[in-house]
Amino acid sequence: MTASENGRVLVRCDGVARTFGSGFGAVVAVHDITCEILAAQQVAITGPSGSGKSTLLHLLAGLDEPTAGSVSWPALGDRDALRPGPVGVVFQGPSLLPPLDVLENVALPLLLGGTSEAAATAAAAAALDRLHLSALATKLPEELSGGQAQRVAVARVLAGRPRLILADEPTGQLDHAAGALIVDALIRSATDLGAALVLTTHDPLVAARLNSGWVMADGGFVTPRDPRERGLTCSA
Amino acid sequence: MLSLTWLRGLTARRRGRLAAAACGVAIAVALLASIGSFLSASKATMTARAAADVAVDWQVQAQPGADPTIVLDTVKAAPGVTAAAPVGFAATSGLQATTGGSTQSTGPGVVLGLPDGYRNTFPEELRDLAGAGTGVLLAQQTAANLHASPGDTITVGRAGLSAVAVHVDGDVDLPQADSLFQAVGAPVGAQPQAPPDNVVLLPAAQWHALFDPLAQNRPELAHTQIHARLAHHLPADPSAAYSQVSGQARNLEVKLAGAGTVGDNLAATLGAARADALYAQILFLFLGLPGAVLAGLLTAAVAGAGVDRRRKEQALLRARGATGSQLTRLGGIEAAAVGAIGATVGLAAALALGKAMFGTFGFGATTVAAAGWAAGSAAVGFLIAAATIAVPAWRDARGVTVIAGRRSVGRAGPPRWASYGLDLLLLGAGALIFWLTGRGGYKLVLAPEGVPTISVSYWAFAGPALLWTGAGLFAWRIADLILGRGRPIMRRVLRPVAGPLAGTVASSMSRQRRILANALVLVALTTAFAASTAVFNATYRQQADIDARLTNGADVTVTQSPGTNVGAAGGAVLAKVPGVRSVEPIQHRFAYVGADLQDLYGVRADTIVGATKLQDAYFQGGTARQLIATLASRPDSILVSAETVKDFQLHPGDQVTLRLQDGRTKQFTDVAFHYAGIAKEFPTAPRDSFLVANADYLTKMTGSDAVGAFLLDTGGSSPAAVAGRVRSVVGAQAQVTDLTTSRRVVGSSLTAVDLAGLTRLELGFALVLAAASTGLVLALGIAERRRTFAIASALGAKARQLGGFVWAEALFITGGGLAAGALGGWVLSHMLVKVLTGVFDPPPAALAVPWAYLAAVGGTAIAAVSIAALGAIRATQRPATALVRDP
Repeated sequence: MTASENGRVLVRCDGVARTFGSGFGAVVAVHDITCEILAAQQVAITGPSGSGKSTLLHLLAGLDEPTAGSVSWPALGDRDALRPGPVGVVFQGPSLLPPLDVLENVALPLLLGGTSEAAATAAAAAALDRLHLSALATKLPEELSGGQAQRVAVARVLAGRPRLILADEPTGQLDHAAGALIVDALIRSATDLGAALVLTTHDPLVAARLNSGWVMADGGFVTPRDPRERGLTCSA
Repeated sequence: MLSLTWLRGLTARRRGRLAAAACGVAIAVALLASIGSFLSASKATMTARAAADVAVDWQVQAQPGADPTIVLDTVKAAPGVTAAAPVGFAATSGLQATTGGSTQSTGPGVVLGLPDGYRNTFPEELRDLAGAGTGVLLAQQTAANLHASPGDTITVGRAGLSAVAVHVDGDVDLPQADSLFQAVGAPVGAQPQAPPDNVVLLPAAQWHALFDPLAQNRPELAHTQIHARLAHHLPADPSAAYSQVSGQARNLEVKLAGAGTVGDNLAATLGAARADALYAQILFLFLGLPGAVLAGLLTAAVAGAGVDRRRKEQALLRARGATGSQLTRLGGIEAAAVGAIGATVGLAAALALGKAMFGTFGFGATTVAAAGWAAGSAAVGFLIAAATIAVPAWRDARGVTVIAGRRSVGRAGPPRWASYGLDLLLLGAGALIFWLTGRGGYKLVLAPEGVPTISVSYWAFAGPALLWTGAGLFAWRIADLILGRGRPIMRRVLRPVAGPLAGTVASSMSRQRRILANALVLVALTTAFAASTAVFNATYRQQADIDARLTNGADVTVTQSPGTNVGAAGGAVLAKVPGVRSVEPIQHRFAYVGADLQDLYGVRADTIVGATKLQDAYFQGGTARQLIATLASRPDSILVSAETVKDFQLHPGDQVTLRLQDGRTKQFTDVAFHYAGIAKEFPTAPRDSFLVANADYLTKMTGSDAVGAFLLDTGGSSPAAVAGRVRSVVGAQAQVTDLTTSRRVVGSSLTAVDLAGLTRLELGFALVLAAASTGLVLALGIAERRRTFAIASALGAKARQLGGFVWAEALFITGGGLAAGALGGWVLSHMLVKVLTGVFDPPPAALAVPWAYLAAVGGTAIAAVSIAALGAIRATQRPATALVRDP
């Protein structure tokens, strides 16, 4: 692989497996995953519950470590430097910190990354404005609806201007209308930032809106929809 | 079925929650049961000691015209009486003795006729000082007045009859002269009668031979008393014992049908003990109850930390069709489980503590008391569990919607009590009640003599109780204010802890200010409780020590027998005894102030202050050093009692003329002194009036340097051991007493009850509460928010940054709580010592502050918080993907 190609690879998984527990009680969540995610790619990972989608996403985000194989981030740096910074994550459930208001929640990753308070607040306000959420800036998470909370979580990712956005079933607990708004926001944010977007979902309609996709079952990839598609590579 | 399933689930999956709440309940139960067992044991000790201290239980005075033999038989037949003996009392017109070439005369006195075996039956009534223990005996002061010693002959005057001469066989002390010479049948509230100055004791046969003629001519001058001893099978509680004994006495008086009146010494002593027992009960209320309340608050805080989780579980159950009553029942099941575990562990801990502290297993001196305290403490434990778990569950099941149940922060306004200023009202009311009750001198316990019931002024409790509650709420208000409106200040203050995240941390704390203020108040109340309890106990110990030192005079005191004439040089022998660091001689004389005979102490002005650790509180009109310096600079100065100052309208510098016995002529002569100040207490001096003067001046004016007592400083060596060595040197010539023994026997029965066990118990519980209210509450609070920390960690927060959140909260709760608690404890300590003045003898001049213990409380709180915070930070470093996924 050339240096320029390597520069486009955001994440590389090489024979990755993740097993929880040991002995008879061990659960193999993912196994033999080899894949790459390139800059500006938009990928939907689908599959039934328990197929390993979330585990793979956590491995890609550096939130978890593989029990076999390796995960690397050639264009993003060390695992320790991923968050806050080049990787932004939208979680499945409520992920806003209850004692912080919306603006503070959005600004938090920037502050954690060392941005000054004034700059972080300005960037957070801009991100909220871009997603038309400014009116919610002073609200507490418990005062938001599920859809609003997820859009704020997207704004939090957007404020950090990541190069890779990972969204773990972001519409899983929302109705279709609210879910559509979230997916819109994610795609628009990724496009605006030129970031790659990897999204796990059960919803084929959501998956259809992204230009690439993998299907997972039993911890591994089923035949990809189009493995040659725009540089996305994967194997199982 | 659902209940059982729920209970199984709780014990299998929510063990930590159950255990933490049960821990709070157990602390409350153990504290109550332990203090209850102490109280019960103390009361029993008070009764036993009071009964043991009485030399003669009943003095039944035969009325004029009544046959003493019939009275004696009736007394002997009375239930409970184990021994009875007739004692003759006759008035003498005066005593005279001619010794050493001079003749001394006294005023009127009393001559007692003691039957054979009296001293065996009532051994505490007389104490041998010199000569034989039988025959004609002179009381100590009488022997001093007459200058008579064993072997001398004295003349006893009889009104209307010729005086008779008797040969003195020995000198005795009458330790219980006040009760021996009481006016039997005096109306309730009558002034106690001072014992006579001159007392002669004769064998009964000799008394009858000398005074039967007097009884025939002047029956009002001679009478017979029947002295009786009772079986001391008394109820453990002094009040019950008092009722039983005084009932028996009244029953005897009915049987005597006017032939005799009972002087009930045992009931009188028990009457004083029942007042002390009530004081012990008050100590329990003052010191034990706040601890139990704190344990309840701790349980509430522990249960409150899990309230979000419980609400979510309830919401889930409700979504599955559970009804409100089913949810309430499940809350009840959890409360019952917590109550049962807590009560069992608490009672077991109390049993173990009782064994460790008081040496016995059990919760009380009697089976009924034991069952009562165990059941009562357990009931309180169940009540706490119900109030902190079942009631909130019931309230949530009734009123909280599923959406509201998910809220954990909220924007609730100030609580209603804060809007009404309840904290300020309570503080104001506490101060007002304290002032109002203080005007009357804090008479907490009213035990009128002869009245079967005694009362406690519970109003006095209200002051400290309202202050404690008000201070807790006020601390909450201040904490709320700092976290709310003071957020900009918090942001600056937290910068060293949280760095660039200070603003975010301040915001986070601000939104959780109710929880944080609750935790801070818990720490503050615990600290105030620990501080005030420790200061009270230390002050009590200090005063008990001063009391013992006042009574004994020094580590070891060698009191010369009356009639002996040992000068200051006699101390040289004592100074050579191993363990004796210094010897301070004190002269002891009797002096007439007008017609009043008082004890006079001659001191060496240059050494007495250091040698006897004189306290400023003993004096009035100057400090100890100032007044003793006056004695040095103006040797004819004298310190007198406040009563003498009042009686004689003295002003500083006024001349006071005393009549003192001259050592050379043995005659009383006038010696001029000048009033310099008031002495309220003095080592070895009696509690009533006495005088303190310069020993050199006394020697010069009376021609005698006879020492009354040598005060020995053992410089840290065991007083009892040194006393033993001194005894072997001085033999029977002098009485040797030591501080350790005095400490055990002085003062009231309450003072005599060893509070060390209670002190250790309370202070130990205070430490446990301090650790739990800081570390446990912080740890549980963080544990319940571990998902929040997991999300922050997933967003990229490093351990150092998460630590900023944790340490900021820990610092606020602990630092604020300790500071507020120290302030509250300081005020409470002063209040407690003031309100409980009656417990102290003598009243303290200043509080004793146990700095080491207070440092231990602070250290425990800081250590507990540090462990909890470090544990929490460590926990956030573990992979938290499961937590992030689990909403």
